Amino acid sequence: MTTSAVNVILSRKERFEREPDRRSEDFHHHLFELEAEGELVVQRVAGEVVEVPTKYGIAKRIPKAHLWHHKSCGQCGHIPGYSTSIFWIMRKLGYDYLDPEDQTSCTAWNYYASATSNQAAQAAVAVRNFAAAYETGFFPLIHCGTSYGHYKEVRSELLHDAALRAQVRKVMERLGKQLVLPEEIVHYSEWLYAVRDEIAQRAVRDVCNVAVTVHPACHYYKLVEGDAIYDPDVYHGQRTAAVSGLVQALGADLRSYSTFFDCCGFGFRHILVQRDFTRSFSTLRKIEVMRAEADPDVVLTHDTGCVTALDKSQFAAQAHERNVGVPVMSEAQFAALAMGAHPFKVCQLHWHSTNYRPLLEKMGIDWRAAWAEFEEDAKRLSDGRQQFLTWADVDA
Amino acid sequence: MDRIVVIGGGPAGLSAGIAAAELGAPVTLVERNAFLGGRPVEENYASITPYLEDAAMVMGRMEERLRAAGDVEVLLSSEVVHAAGDGPYGLTIRTPDGERVQEASAVVVATGFTHFDPGRETQLYGYYEFPDVIALQDLEAMLKEHHVVRPSNGEAPRRVCFIQCVGSRDRQIGNEYCSKVCCGVASKEAIEVRQLLPDSEVFIFYIDMRMYGYWERQLYWPAQEEHHVQYVKGIVTEVLPKDGRLLVRGEDTTMGRPMETLMDLVVLSVGMEPSPGTRKIAGILGLAQNKFGFIEAQQPPLDTVGTSRPGVFAAGAALGPSDLEDCASSGGLAAARAVALWRQHQTVGAR
Ligand SMILES: Cc1cc2nc3c(=O)[nH]c(=O)nc-3n(C[C@H](O)[C@H](O)[C@H](O)COP(=O)(O)OP(=O)(O)OC[C@H]3O[C@@H](n4cnc5c(N)ncnc54)[C@H](O)[C@@H]3O)c2cc1C
Ligand code: SF4
Repeated sequence: MTTSAVNVILSRKERFEREPDRRSEDFHHHLFELEAEGELVVQRVAGEVVEVPTKYGIAKRIPKAHLWHHKSCGQCGHIPGYSTSIFWIMRKLGYDYLDPEDQTSCTAWNYYASATSNQAAQAAVAVRNFAAAYETGFFPLIHCGTSYGHYKEVRSELLHDAALRAQVRKVMERLGKQLVLPEEIVHYSEWLYAVRDEIAQRAVRDVCNVAVTVHPACHYYKLVEGDAIYDPDVYHGQRTAAVSGLVQALGADLRSYSTFFDCCGFGFRHILVQRDFTRSFSTLRKIEVMRAEADPDVVLTHDTGCVTALDKSQFAAQAHERNVGVPVMSEAQFAALAMGAHPFKVCQLHWHSTNYRPLLEKMGIDWRAAWAEFEEDAKRLSDGRQQFLTWADVDA
Repeated sequence: MDRIVVIGGGPAGLSAGIAAAELGAPVTLVERNAFLGGRPVEENYASITPYLEDAAMVMGRMEERLRAAGDVEVLLSSEVVHAAGDGPYGLTIRTPDGERVQEASAVVVATGFTHFDPGRETQLYGYYEFPDVIALQDLEAMLKEHHVVRPSNGEAPRRVCFIQCVGSRDRQIGNEYCSKVCCGVASKEAIEVRQLLPDSEVFIFYIDMRMYGYWERQLYWPAQEEHHVQYVKGIVTEVLPKDGRLLVRGEDTTMGRPMETLMDLVVLSVGMEPSPGTRKIAGILGLAQNKFGFIEAQQPPLDTVGTSRPGVFAAGAALGPSDLEDCASSGGLAAARAVALWRQHQTVGAR
């Protein structure tokens, strides 16, 4: 017997639309007010813009083109194919960008891992990078989840603390720069979400039988949570839609697991002072749980710390014959693969520790042939016939 | 002629209307719904604390008393849309037959509360994701039909738990208040589930149980001693799907350790927020509201019903979280204050 009460309960759950929440501040208002008072300069979102929904309904404006890439320390060090994939996708979709050479680290590591440094120095580093972007006319796009979360916290401090603004302005004056804040702080995965349908249209590989689990980066959606993307069509708006939204658009088999909200294990202090804890957390708490509950072909995430922790922790657990062995990469790498990117020249999967070859086979990619091509290139570089690879080589 | 206008026909509005009419004043009661009884009727509450009486019957009795009380006009499916003057007020009321203006020497606002929407919060209980995560009022409606099942498959749940303080006592989401009734209501519903499904196990996860006055003896101890409801101190942090059931994770603070346990049905004890009608009427009448949007009484604790506008009194859950006893009391007080004003206006008018 179904009863009316059950039907009412089920119909209530059909669609959830979060009310615009009176408690989360819309910082834009404050930002433009301070600009009008001459306190700071706002770099505006310009050109073609996509509006995306955030947790409490405040629309976030994501510019499609003309982006200034604020790269991640971790990407460059551990997962070079990460940033290359983002660039490659932008090129394929025809959006221009700038890969700046004067970007510094956000120094959030300093702050989160050791709590040394001070507020004004942290804010000044953030603003220096924003000012550098502003001077080029390109809009900043933040690759790293940590920088992204950190910069949003810095923005909030700067908006509410006049004394801090004065301190930072002084530092900027010495550097010959202005106190600049961008209209939005945009993470690259938000950009991918914004253009996910274009990416899906350009996909050349069928991923519908690829089972995917997502690990969302804590610093993406737990710091300044009101400013992260939540879409009613992705997990009923109850989990951040970054990464998962793209997976859905690509048509892959998105699977849930019970430790979705847990950290990847990286945890800043832990990776520094208790690496074993990080390793066991990554593998026992995340990878094994995913394996047992969702059996994914790949884990996708959107922060370099997360890719590193989840990917490179597995070898130790494998030695103990634990139930691990799932490839891990950024959703940018996965999307690039789906769009036909070269697994080694673009996605640089050879830097990853966990075996990704079965996944490539499932995606219809002949990794042996691809590896042979890559070795050809490497040979040309080693015997001096060529100095470095170019985009032309990548697509050859 | 001037009347006393009561806005809202829930427990508080009914109490106010009855009291004012019994004191001899003419009353117009304006209710937005097509029926009287407020939330208890609208949400199909099964029974009410502490005697587990049938909710519809209790509210029906109130309605009868109101209609028998004297010069009472009940306007259903109606709303106050505009107010002119500083008291007495000329209230524009939109009824199914069109708009009319009612002179009011005093107004009682009893526009009540709405349940906290569990999809809005930061904790992740998955109300919208999982059919078997429900809220107190959902369970009330199932209890009323004597049919408590897992909405996902229609089977009787073997393990049921309540999570207290969902949307209340939570600084993170900005509701820094206790909703007062949910501990009692959860205990009452837990007893009813145990009575209906004797093979079930029922748990209540709580920060601390708040049983005002006699509810301690009437609900809290019987729930444990006679009905074997298990109270676990420690708040739940998330609810996740596992093997077709719900994995409830949190902390057991008595044992001082993290806890994970599987449930078939999870009931969220959602708290109270001001109803949209309360927010709206506060705007129309220009009433001061507190930071949560409830109407602010101006001289508490001993005048709990006077608002920032002369001649406007508030009652019940429009003033903040309240149980039925609070509603009856504040409704009565608001009526007494309104009638006193009405009398003054009569005397002045007669002179
Ligand atoms: C699940 C649940 C179970 C409960 N069970 C119990 C219990 O067992 N015992 C107990 O003591 N308490 C219980 N309560 C609390 C009880 O429901 C409230 O104390 C009571 O309903 C508040 O009465 P009220 O008249 O102030 O507001 P409401 O019940 O909210 O009534 C307000 C009325 O005003 C109307 N209205 C709103 N805006 C307008 C407008 N602008 N114009 C015209 N009309 C308007 C609404 O339609 C509604 O009819 C329970 C609460 C919950 C959440
Ligand atoms: S009554 Fe109980 S459940 Fe409700 S808010 Fe207060 S303590 Fe929490």
